[in-house]
Amino acid sequence: MKVSYNWLSHYVDIDCSVQELADKLTMAGIEVEAIDTACSIPEGIVVGEILERNPHPGADKLSVCKVSDGKNELQVVCGAPNCDVGKKVPLATIGTVFSDPDGKDFKIKKSKLRGEKSFGMLCSSSELGLDSDHDGLMELENDAVTGTSLRELFPGDTVYTVEITPNRPDWLSHWGIARDVACLLDAPAKMPEFPIPTPTKTIDTSNLVTIEEPELCPRYTGRIIRNVKVAESPDWLKDRLLSIGLRPINNIVDITNFVLMELGHPLHAFDLDLLAEQRIVVRRANDGEKMIMLDDKELELKPHHLVIADAEKPVALAGIMGGAGSGVTKKTVNILLESAAFFTSKIRSTSRELNITTDSSYRFERGIDWDMVTTASDRATALILELTGGELVTELVDVYDEIPQPKPIKCAFNNIRNLIGITLNNDEIIDIFTKLQLTVSEVDNGRCLVTPPLFRLDLEREADLAEEVARINGLDAIPDVPVVAKTVAPIADDAYMLNQELHDQLIGLGLNECLHYSMVSEKSALSDSRFAADDLVKMTNPLSLELCAMRPSLFGEMLDTVKRNTARKNYNLQLFEIGRVFCGNQELFPEERLECTIILSGQSHPERFSAERAELFDFYDLKGLVEALFLKRRTANISFAAGDDKRFAPGMCATLMLNGKAAGHLGQVAKCHTAGIKTEHPIFMAVIECDAIFKASPKSELYQPISQFPSTSRDVAFVAKESLQHGEVMAFIGKAKLKNLEKIELFDIFTDEKVLGAGKKSMAYTLTFRNAERTLTDKEVNKSFDKLRISLEKGLGIELR
Amino acid sequence: MKNSIINQINTALDAAEVNLAKADNDQEIEAVRIAIVGRKGLFPALSGEMKNVLPEDRKAVGIAFNQGKQRFQKIIDAATERLQQQDDTGETAGIDLSLPGRQWQRGTKHPVSKIIDDCVAIFRRMGFIVAEGPEMESVYNNFDALNTPADHPSRDPGDTFYFADGRLLRTQTSPVQIRVMESQEPPIRIVAPGRCFRRDTPDATHSMNFHQIEGLYIDRQVSLADLKSILQTFAHELFGPQVSIRLRPHFFPFTEPSVEYDFSCIMCKGKGCGVCKQSGWLEIAGAGMVDPQVLHNVGYDPAEWSGFAFGMGIERLAMLRYRINDIRFLYENDVRFLEQF
Repeated sequence: MKVSYNWLSHYVDIDCSVQELADKLTMAGIEVEAIDTACSIPEGIVVGEILERNPHPGADKLSVCKVSDGKNELQVVCGAPNCDVGKKVPLATIGTVFSDPDGKDFKIKKSKLRGEKSFGMLCSSSELGLDSDHDGLMELENDAVTGTSLRELFPGDTVYTVEITPNRPDWLSHWGIARDVACLLDAPAKMPEFPIPTPTKTIDTSNLVTIEEPELCPRYTGRIIRNVKVAESPDWLKDRLLSIGLRPINNIVDITNFVLMELGHPLHAFDLDLLAEQRIVVRRANDGEKMIMLDDKELELKPHHLVIADAEKPVALAGIMGGAGSGVTKKTVNILLESAAFFTSKIRSTSRELNITTDSSYRFERGIDWDMVTTASDRATALILELTGGELVTELVDVYDEIPQPKPIKCAFNNIRNLIGITLNNDEIIDIFTKLQLTVSEVDNGRCLVTPPLFRLDLEREADLAEEVARINGLDAIPDVPVVAKTVAPIADDAYMLNQELHDQLIGLGLNECLHYSMVSEKSALSDSRFAADDLVKMTNPLSLELCAMRPSLFGEMLDTVKRNTARKNYNLQLFEIGRVFCGNQELFPEERLECTIILSGQSHPERFSAERAELFDFYDLKGLVEALFLKRRTANISFAAGDDKRFAPGMCATLMLNGKAAGHLGQVAKCHTAGIKTEHPIFMAVIECDAIFKASPKSELYQPISQFPSTSRDVAFVAKESLQHGEVMAFIGKAKLKNLEKIELFDIFTDEKVLGAGKKSMAYTLTFRNAERTLTDKEVNKSFDKLRISLEKGLGIELR
Repeated sequence: MKNSIINQINTALDAAEVNLAKADNDQEIEAVRIAIVGRKGLFPALSGEMKNVLPEDRKAVGIAFNQGKQRFQKIIDAATERLQQQDDTGETAGIDLSLPGRQWQRGTKHPVSKIIDDCVAIFRRMGFIVAEGPEMESVYNNFDALNTPADHPSRDPGDTFYFADGRLLRTQTSPVQIRVMESQEPPIRIVAPGRCFRRDTPDATHSMNFHQIEGLYIDRQVSLADLKSILQTFAHELFGPQVSIRLRPHFFPFTEPSVEYDFSCIMCKGKGCGVCKQSGWLEIAGAGMVDPQVLHNVGYDPAEWSGFAFGMGIERLAMLRYRINDIRFLYENDVRFLEQF
């Protein structure tokens, strides 16, 4: 909302600067978002009095003047013809900065003009931006006090753009804000007086207003004013409206707009002669009834819409907008002035449904002041009579059932103090209430009863009163207290520990963390072949069809990220995300769970100036990464099994087993999913269920003693069928339970048809033996080793080399 | 016999000294060492002849042995040291130190996670622990229980994502407050970071999904002053002691009194700039004393318990700290972006 400083000053004496007032408003809860000042006069210009005038020795057209700035006498060289002794003129003192319309600054400095020193500049009114008159110095009134800032004499106007929170509809007007300014500045707020004359003659108004829907329209007032002259508004009224960005239309409409912005209560003026039977009915619209609005749009109405109608047809959408056929025009002679109260929720729902927001609907949907219904009508009536020559022919027709009375609030002073953490005494708290026009009664030592005025719709409870005390006393005044933790829950209850630890481990392994949106297209969602369309969780009101499903996994978006990166020639990717994914089929997965997805693609090791070749990521990099993760986490019972999953290329997929249960998959992403990805490198992905990771049983964390004795190793090499897997060899050697065997490492594997024969491969292992208490002898190592060689030959059908 | 042994020692050591001076690797030094003091070397052999020395000469021969051993140690040490110095100068002299280092794996944390982790660390130190809740929430937890009026605009399907069963995507982390309060008795001291969703069309400053961190403290006699000191400590820890804070009155349905919480602008240090719209202040968070109605909704007695809650946007903090000017960069996952953190 826009608030004019000059307009505010009409109701309250503001004895602080524009910026100070803005700060006070912001700190009182009326947030000033912007300050636009209409004053063109720069700071530093004061009323100067010309004490002497001498001709410039070196220039005919210049004069050398002595000018008083109120404190000192300054020599100023001036070129204007009217710099006569005794005149009071604007003096730009040293340091004054003029800005031209192009934004270039011009600063007044000590200078020499043709050899004569000058300590300032005398100004014309055009130089001050007040008008375009170029004829000499601006001559000020003789009683202007020398030294006064010209900004004080010609303040212009300043307009604040303020944000009003929805709980304070009473701030949606200049008068409403002036009430708080008065409180902040400890000055009275004065409403101008507007006496209403007695009607000149009285016509029968018993039938003027009929409310058929008192629930939706609890109060409606009407007044008839005859013989108005619709014309342009006077300057002061146009200026008020223009200052806050409203376009003047004609005097009647301008007056209703002015009162709206002055008092915050919406009014509407009907052309009485355009109302059938010259009367008003507040009713529900008939189904399909049509009305053309003031903005020329046609509405088709439904019975849940509340309308203001005449005897035949709707003439306004209640509280929102008038109809085109009944408004005030140049031809209007007689008017009916409406001031009413409508049910807030009704206005809100209609406004939203029809997508029409007006200054009127904005206020009605937040709530209005019941007292203001008549005050606003009186104010507008007085102005119409004054400015349009109209003639009042009715008393106020005021139809209502009951005016709600504010409920007193019980208030314990200690509760207020405790909630805010301040030490105000009871009287200071009462003083704040009183300044805010709250009525305080039944005061005793500890409590009182506080009754808010009708316009304070937000005050219902003690906590609301505490807010008022905090606000007016100032949030800056709340003391600094030490941070105290009276209660600290055990860190084991912290829900983020596990997730955070997993993050840190993956980052520690060299991966870059990604974040993707939670919404995906159905196509992207279903690219993860584990899910069918029915398994997806979909919104009823997605932002677009492209973003209609909650991601069932990170699969689609991760590949999108690979696509985006490779299109930008970022080929080397080591990525992960730990993210929430959603499933609508609880037989598959819980509704929300955490999934961890890892991507490796491109070079694991870049080429290094010809000395070292680049190395590409392969399956074993990914597997090694997953193994390293679980080593870090000390997870027990991790293994890999051959996997079969459409996300991955056939034969290039392993299932990660934790405690014998599948916990995820890893492998090379199948070609059908990588179409359009501009990379020649295979893409490896691991997808792991975070819950399985978190729940996997850890290895014992007890320290294992380290043997102080040296190890001995033996190599065994053999030729085997190509189908023999490393895992089988490991399992076989493991089963043999060789004494003192510490580890087994595969160190060579190759195929060579000429040397080994078709379908054969050579494998070579190093076995390391060690004992905790002594150095092993060759003899005992050989004994174990020879036993193993023999059993390998028999058990696996290999040929020892 | 006496003189023969003494002569042999001296001759051997003279020869050893010459050889060691010429030695240019560890093996040559070792060979000399073995020839003199090794198991089958000169010294053990000569000491085997001690039994043939006249008793009156034994003392002199013993002294010669000891002196010989000391001399030998000295010349061996000198040779070793000479070689080490040669090695040191020889090796470092030859390489181009300006060549790039071999690439080392270095993972990076997403800026949003970094801010979450920093916030969580700061609040944990002040005695808070993390609580979480689902992103698919009930209307009750997201709105009703938080005292949001039935026709509040934020409930509009134009602003909030809904599901067919009537649930929604949480628009704030505040429903976690409700879940925690409903599941346990006070006192409570939690923070809840997490994803939230609003039906905003994506642009440089809006994202349909974003992160918030929520704080809630419920105890006896908690005041606005406690809130202020917690937020002040938070500001100093996250952005440094030069950052000042201010509270401004505001309105939220779930707190009363409600405040907005500003940092002095970290760009211009409060002087006024484009980022803070010349105001010198950056709007950071909404906060306030938990509304008595909310306490009542979860079955707490507002006469006994009070508390505060606050919530702030993680993306906004990340964008301020790292001067990221488009929120979409956070979700694009370009590795050149990710690798900067």
